[in-house]
Amino acid sequence: MQNRISIPIGPQHPLLKEPLSMMIDISGEKVLGGSMRLGYVHRGIERLAEQRNYIQNVLLIERVCGICSHVHTTTYCYAVEALLGIEIPPRAQYIRALMCELERIHSHLLWLGILAKHVGLETIFMHAWHDRESSLDIMEAISGGRVSHAANQIGGVSFNLDKAQAEMIRSTISNLRTQVEGLLNVIETEPALHARTQGVAPVSAEMIRQYCVVGPIARASGVDIDLRRDDPLPPYDQLEFKVITHADGDAWARTLVRAQETRESLNLCDTIMRDMPDGEVLVRAPRKVPPGEAIIRSEAPRGEVFYYLRSDGSENPARVKIRTPTLSALSMIPAQLAAIQVADIPVVLAGIDLCVACADR
Amino acid sequence: MIEELFFLLVFPGMTFQVVCGLGFEWLDRKLLAMFQRRVGPPWYQPLADMIKLFSKEDLLPKGANEMVAAFLPLLSLSAVLTAGLYIPIAGFSPVSFEGDLIVILFLMSVPTLAYYVAGIVSVGIYSILGGGRSLLQFFSYEVPLLIALSGPAILARSWSVSGVMSAQAGLGPFILFQPLGFVLAMVGLIGKLKRDPLDIPKAKSEVVGGSLTEFTGAKLAFWHLVMNVQAIVGIFLLVNLFLAWPQMLHPLLTAGIFLAQCLIMILILSTTSSVFARLRIDQLAGLGWRILVPLALLQVAVVILMGV
Amino acid sequence: MERLKKRFSLLSAIIDALIEPPETVGYPFTKLELPETYRGAIVIDPEKCTGCGLCVRDCPAQGLELVKKSRHEFKLIHYPARCAYCGQCSISCRRKAISHSNQLVGSTSNPEALVVVLKEKEDEEQG
Repeated sequence: MQNRISIPIGPQHPLLKEPLSMMIDISGEKVLGGSMRLGYVHRGIERLAEQRNYIQNVLLIERVCGICSHVHTTTYCYAVEALLGIEIPPRAQYIRALMCELERIHSHLLWLGILAKHVGLETIFMHAWHDRESSLDIMEAISGGRVSHAANQIGGVSFNLDKAQAEMIRSTISNLRTQVEGLLNVIETEPALHARTQGVAPVSAEMIRQYCVVGPIARASGVDIDLRRDDPLPPYDQLEFKVITHADGDAWARTLVRAQETRESLNLCDTIMRDMPDGEVLVRAPRKVPPGEAIIRSEAPRGEVFYYLRSDGSENPARVKIRTPTLSALSMIPAQLAAIQVADIPVVLAGIDLCVACADR
Repeated sequence: MIEELFFLLVFPGMTFQVVCGLGFEWLDRKLLAMFQRRVGPPWYQPLADMIKLFSKEDLLPKGANEMVAAFLPLLSLSAVLTAGLYIPIAGFSPVSFEGDLIVILFLMSVPTLAYYVAGIVSVGIYSILGGGRSLLQFFSYEVPLLIALSGPAILARSWSVSGVMSAQAGLGPFILFQPLGFVLAMVGLIGKLKRDPLDIPKAKSEVVGGSLTEFTGAKLAFWHLVMNVQAIVGIFLLVNLFLAWPQMLHPLLTAGIFLAQCLIMILILSTTSSVFARLRIDQLAGLGWRILVPLALLQVAVVILMGV
Repeated sequence: MERLKKRFSLLSAIIDALIEPPETVGYPFTKLELPETYRGAIVIDPEKCTGCGLCVRDCPAQGLELVKKSRHEFKLIHYPARCAYCGQCSISCRRKAISHSNQLVGSTSNPEALVVVLKEKEDEEQG
């Protein structure tokens, strides 16, 4: 243990595309521990939101995250609507849910690709991202933006789906299903991926509870939480879906959980398209919000997103507090970096599905 | 004199090897792109990359030994080019002698050692890690590779590549007698070239660029060229040792068969690199010493029994 | 057989990929197909704009500016380099005067050059 050296990982490193700096102490090929620094993409969004009106904030909050942008605005809009005391039309609720599920598919496929890339399977990476593009295409075609959809407005959504678009979505989703099925078969049966991820840095359910970790990571350790079922926003209370859990808690369990959640989300998309009611998608919302507080939680691709909103009766919110799932997952990294090898660092870091932009805000 | 210079500089020497090396890089990248449903680079891309790298600023971190760092890629390049000179191209071997197989194998291992030293002299943390890993990997693949390549020599009772080829003209391609040896030699070659799935010393997400992390400009260009020429020399060697076809009447036909065999080898290399995930270094050491070496010894034993 | 196929699932996937045409395009040489609804460059219908300033108030990026001299005399300026192409201005506009085309906005090294005066209305008595 004499030749202990520290290797820097990030904020510029091929492993992490996220601005996160880690110092990892290693000795030979063994990892002894690590520490990290955050805050490279702190943009002060919570403070900025207090200086803008509620309508501008929808578009500001979309910039919290580059991957799960829609679920942030959805949660924010539900919070504002709760303060206003208005209920959006059912069709708008279904369109919001559809976008959320498409986003989950794209986020999970992105993650599967990145994991495969870090263990040296660049082909799976490219194929996963190719499939992910179909889901982005749907979102671009219906909302007008590939990543920043600007789909939500206070009081509903900014577009309605016509017959041709609905047909396009149905056929694209069925194509996507065949592609994703093939891809997930590859991922679930690929022995090389299995050999690299199984048994790497397993996390117990107690540790998950201790660190308050949420989302697919918690579900992969056998903690059965999913806000879509436990505290559903409309229309999830009317939709049937399975919550996937796995007992092992290692990187392989996370892979399987995310792969099956992708399938489940595809099914949900079909259900949503089948059950979507007709009607308006927007109700007029007043610009001034009555004083009060609102807390809304929703299930983002990475876990629970929490919004606290306080209004003092003016056009601007008095306080917007955002809590994202990544922050708790980040706090667990140093604990996971013990007793692994240097070659496992990418698997551990990628396995968490970091979104530092969300965590820093 | 003119003739010897031609052998040395044009064919089968420097120019030919470098052109083949660049062609190999292009084919490899194009195939990989097709596997990944991308368009892929145009045919001149490797050359363009070389030219671009040459025009870049050349710097090394403080404390690095500039002289040694500049010397290492040139040494490796000359070693692999010399090795390529002794390998018959489509049966044409102007400078062949008894025992040249051993010389080739020695020269081929020079770049790996130079790669290790390059990691040490360029002082980066990732370079040192990558250098250490490359040495570890060297010990894992080199022994099975050497044993596997000695199989054909033992069967042909000659340590010259031309001798092995002429023995195959009588007996038929040696891959028929030692398929196991061929597979082991392929694994060894992948390890030597540090390609996926044995790209442990330069795994991007683990040690950034390995030994070459701190190299820039012309030095990096030469390193890339070394890898490409090494790949093409290794492919030529394996084709000659395992897949030699009896000489045809028409030299063009012989050259065509040789070319087709090389293309198949490149296809195999590209496919393996896109199908398998990278191994961990302990997994590689286990694979090398517990599986590959016993298999290689078994293959040699079979070959010796065949010869008796 | 089924097991064998599963074992080599990636191999069969790349063989399929070898036969199929590539999914990427050589972008500057091939034109991109953008969907009808794509939020691209901003266009304005000068007949409908009255200079009410709703779009300017709700723009989250300060991409629009209204220079008003009098009730009938105003300039609506668009700064493409600041614009986030979010579509809020077209939602806010009561008269549907402002909208997006599905054309990409070109990149430039001089953002000042892209600034356009969307609507310039002089007072008729003066003009």
